[in-house]
Amino acid sequence: MAISYIHLFILSFISTSRFLVISKAGAESELVAYLLTLQSQSESGVIHLNDRTVSKFITSTKTPRPYSLLIFFDAIPLHDKSDLRLPVLVHDFALVASSFIANHNGSNTKLFFCDLEFRESQSSFKLFDVNSLPNIYLVGPDAESLKDDTEQMEQSGFTRLIESLVEFIESRTQLTVGPIHHSPVISKKQMVLIIGFLLIWSPFAARKIFAGETMFHNPRIWLSGAIFVYFFSVSGAMHIIIRKMPMFLMDREDPNKLIFFYQGTGVQLGLEGFMVGFLYTIVGLLLAVVTHVLVYVKDLKTKRIGMLFSIFVSFWAVKQVIFLDNWKTRYAIHGFWPSRWN
Amino acid sequence: MAAPETSTAAVPTLYTNNTLRNAFGGVLSFFILLLIGVMAFSIRLFSVIKYESVIHEFDPYFNYRVTQFLAKNGIYEFWNWFDDRTWYPLGRVIGGTVYPGLTLTAGTIWWLLNSLNIPLSVETVCVFTAPIFSAFASWATYLLTKEVKGTGAGLTAAALLAMVPSYISRSVAGSYDNEAVAIFALIFTFYLYIKVCSWGGYTFIINLIPMHVLLCIVTGRFSSRLYIAYAPLVVLGTLLAALVPVVGFNAVMTSEHFASFLVFIIIHVVAFVYYIKGILSPKMFKVAVTLVVSVGLAVCCAVIAVLIALVASSPTKGWSGRSLSLLDPTYASKYIPIIASVSEHQPPTWPSYFMDINVLAFLVPAGIIACFLPLSDASSFVVLYIATSVYFSGVMVRLMLVLAPAACITSGIALSQAFDVFTGSIKFQLTGASSNTEVDAAETSSSTAESQTDAVKTEKPEETAKNRPSRKSKKKEREHGEKPSTKAKAEKKRLLALPLESSVISLLLLVLLGAFYVVHCVWAAAEAYSAPSIVLTSRSHDGLHVFDDFREAYAWLRHNTDVDDKVASWWDYGYQTTAMANRTVIVDNNTWNNTHIATVGTAMSSPERAAWEIFHSLDVKYVLVVFGGLVGYPSDDINKFLWMVRIGGGVFPHIKEPDYLRDGQYRIDSQATPTMLNCLMYKLSYYRFVETDGKGFDRVRQTEIGKKYFKLTHFEEAFTTHHWMVRIYKLKPPKNRIRGKTKKSKSKTSSTTSGPKRSGTKKKNPWQ
Repeated sequence: MAISYIHLFILSFISTSRFLVISKAGAESELVAYLLTLQSQSESGVIHLNDRTVSKFITSTKTPRPYSLLIFFDAIPLHDKSDLRLPVLVHDFALVASSFIANHNGSNTKLFFCDLEFRESQSSFKLFDVNSLPNIYLVGPDAESLKDDTEQMEQSGFTRLIESLVEFIESRTQLTVGPIHHSPVISKKQMVLIIGFLLIWSPFAARKIFAGETMFHNPRIWLSGAIFVYFFSVSGAMHIIIRKMPMFLMDREDPNKLIFFYQGTGVQLGLEGFMVGFLYTIVGLLLAVVTHVLVYVKDLKTKRIGMLFSIFVSFWAVKQVIFLDNWKTRYAIHGFWPSRWN
Repeated sequence: MAAPETSTAAVPTLYTNNTLRNAFGGVLSFFILLLIGVMAFSIRLFSVIKYESVIHEFDPYFNYRVTQFLAKNGIYEFWNWFDDRTWYPLGRVIGGTVYPGLTLTAGTIWWLLNSLNIPLSVETVCVFTAPIFSAFASWATYLLTKEVKGTGAGLTAAALLAMVPSYISRSVAGSYDNEAVAIFALIFTFYLYIKVCSWGGYTFIINLIPMHVLLCIVTGRFSSRLYIAYAPLVVLGTLLAALVPVVGFNAVMTSEHFASFLVFIIIHVVAFVYYIKGILSPKMFKVAVTLVVSVGLAVCCAVIAVLIALVASSPTKGWSGRSLSLLDPTYASKYIPIIASVSEHQPPTWPSYFMDINVLAFLVPAGIIACFLPLSDASSFVVLYIATSVYFSGVMVRLMLVLAPAACITSGIALSQAFDVFTGSIKFQLTGASSNTEVDAAETSSSTAESQTDAVKTEKPEETAKNRPSRKSKKKEREHGEKPSTKAKAEKKRLLALPLESSVISLLLLVLLGAFYVVHCVWAAAEAYSAPSIVLTSRSHDGLHVFDDFREAYAWLRHNTDVDDKVASWWDYGYQTTAMANRTVIVDNNTWNNTHIATVGTAMSSPERAAWEIFHSLDVKYVLVVFGGLVGYPSDDINKFLWMVRIGGGVFPHIKEPDYLRDGQYRIDSQATPTMLNCLMYKLSYYRFVETDGKGFDRVRQTEIGKKYFKLTHFEEAFTTHHWMVRIYKLKPPKNRIRGKTKKSKSKTSSTTSGPKRSGTKKKNPWQ
């Protein structure tokens, strides 16, 4: 009897434990399936979490979970703060997410990209102990406490988010992300529109070109174009565009004061560049006016006034640029005179 | 040049006087050009005077070595040269992977001099190649600008180019690199192209010229001369370029050359249309045009669609990353960190323009406007050149070099025209003051007097170049104006004159501007761009210090090691080691094999034993490290070390950057991580360092080092230079393994094996 009891006990234990395993596996696969549907509902593949889903997917599931979650902490009110660059980061994060999903053909069930919004999920922010933005956390399969077991991406990675995020994922989860699919500059619809427009426009353009009456036959257009390109380049506009430099800075000590000129060679501010670019260009323009326009003016008084004005402005502009350059670069340019002159 | 004015004389005298004046002007401009050449050459000699006649930096040493090989073995050997002294054990095919223009040029110069019995060493020839070509470049600028706006502008532009800082920075004596010759080739190609016969250049040229042809076609300037200039250029240029092994089929395969072929097709179509237009009646022509256009458009669309599909299917859309970043400037910063991280590829700020082209930045707009009045084929080319080069220079600071000639040409035009107008009006006013009947005589005397005063103050070549040409181009103008009667001429001149006093002031200010340019250029040549970076100097309160440690170390290697010993160092010093020490290196500045570099990086970041094993597997005998901690030389190996870790870790994942950082900070003091303090680079750099001052204070990092007293187990110090800047270590012979294997009979085995082992490690060079 006793033996059979024991048998029964073991049997029942086995069956219950198996049932438990099955149910656990079932619950897990349900969660994964739910995550997959959420992922497919989102356009970029980033799952939007809130306090409820955080507890559903993370805190109330038992470890080890069959998936890792990569969570981006976002706050919509802070999107207009330009120094945080949150919209750019959101976009980059979504790009990595969609590339990851596309590279795994949707068959990935190991890693999900999520985001949390501060206003609607404040308690989750507290759970992760997130006080500053931007922030990205990886919740691994074994993470129990959201404060201690999760892994935070380093702040230095946010300057070049796509590369460092890929590196972060590949080093922590042993999953490969694969190539990043940058969205094309022109979408297909725009492409079709542009081609259609070009097709319609080309006969008209061809006729005009043959007739020789387009604006491109007017040298003035070319002249102003060339001068503009010159102004644009010498003012360092490319530097401003590529480095996303602001037009001016706020003075930290005195908020009412604005800083237009930045000391140091490697960096320039927007307005600073345009001002100096203007000074560079104005001298040449005035010289050209004097040598090609003023010469043909008949009135002597106009000539004289024009000349004096040009001389004065050019002298001032050159002096100003030399002064600014010496101030900014701190070079001490000196002549090499014979030593007995000293 | 200021021959007497001739308007009152009879016609035959006028004619002879004109020829005389022309001849005199020709001789004078020849001498001015000669002086400009001398100036271009001599302003670049600051590096030789301040230091000595050495080759600079890193890449020039490779070029020097290749030239040496060429001079010694001849062109055929050079073309098939497989270099086993570098990238050991892989080697490198040099003949097929190097742009041969520079070395062939210098090799030819050396050969020429030697056959004239002028025994110069290859090194001397290499050192002075760049200054010589700068002189050539200024002459080429003269030719090009002369085609655009006359002799005066040409001379001014040549003088400006002779000392433009941007070009000086790449062509001081000793910087034996491609750019110095390339700029000459660029300008000269442009000149030849404008002169309607031309040969091939490279990417920038090969795209700029088609653009110009297209511009000419669109603005209705098509002519048979354009066709003759362009069609052979494409065919011959492509063929010639394809003959160079590095370029090879790239000449037809990459999209960079696409523009030239497209325009090639277009120019044929246009030529055909013009031909048909010539033989058909206007009505027939219209019918033909409608027919051809409708058929042609359909075909074109199909072809373009196919092309777009083809190009779009390749990952970089057929363009190389560097070129793409020119078209879309934000491309590199977004997608190619390697290109974005190089300092030469940064977008410049406005002070860079002031540093590199200085006051020319003020004059260029005036030159652009002058080119439009009137617009000719040649001047439209210059406008296109300045617009494209200034845009591209805005994207990459490196392309400032391409901008410099364009800026010189346009400012030369502007300056010359301004001088022309101002001196012309001054002269007119002065003569206008004298009696009306003797206008011309007075003009004569005043102009001669003026030229004499000018001749007196010709100390600055800059000024001569500016003053003289202006009058010469004016002379040209005169020649045209002399045909109408004297009255009409005087009328015209009255209109052309500007007020006297303001003209004088403007003239003075322009001369002042020129003087400022000269001062700036000399300063830039002397102070900013002349350091060879192989010999260093520092000025302190107790005088000038010279640090010649690099050459000391390389000489030691050359004289104290076997010919076939392999030396490992970080890749920066590869070219120098092969060229100066003539020893085999593992990696060099060519950086073509990332895995190999990563292996060296891993060895440097590993602990001693692991590093020894890596080096031993590569047959390395000596390890060379550069250390600046004693004298405060900041670009040493410890400062480059994180790159070694990163590159090593990129291939060998057990090297992890965070292991070398304490809280994200790179430090070598007592707070440094144990991995850092135990890696080979730290140990080789700081071995015995504490003996110098008793504390081990690093002057670059401004801190005391973390681990002061330690011994080396697998390496032994072989040589340390005078200022400790280069330290050379020898790998200890592999005896640990034997000791571990036969522990019992340790003494026996060691004593018995040590004999043959020694002889084994000290094997003689079989070729000696």
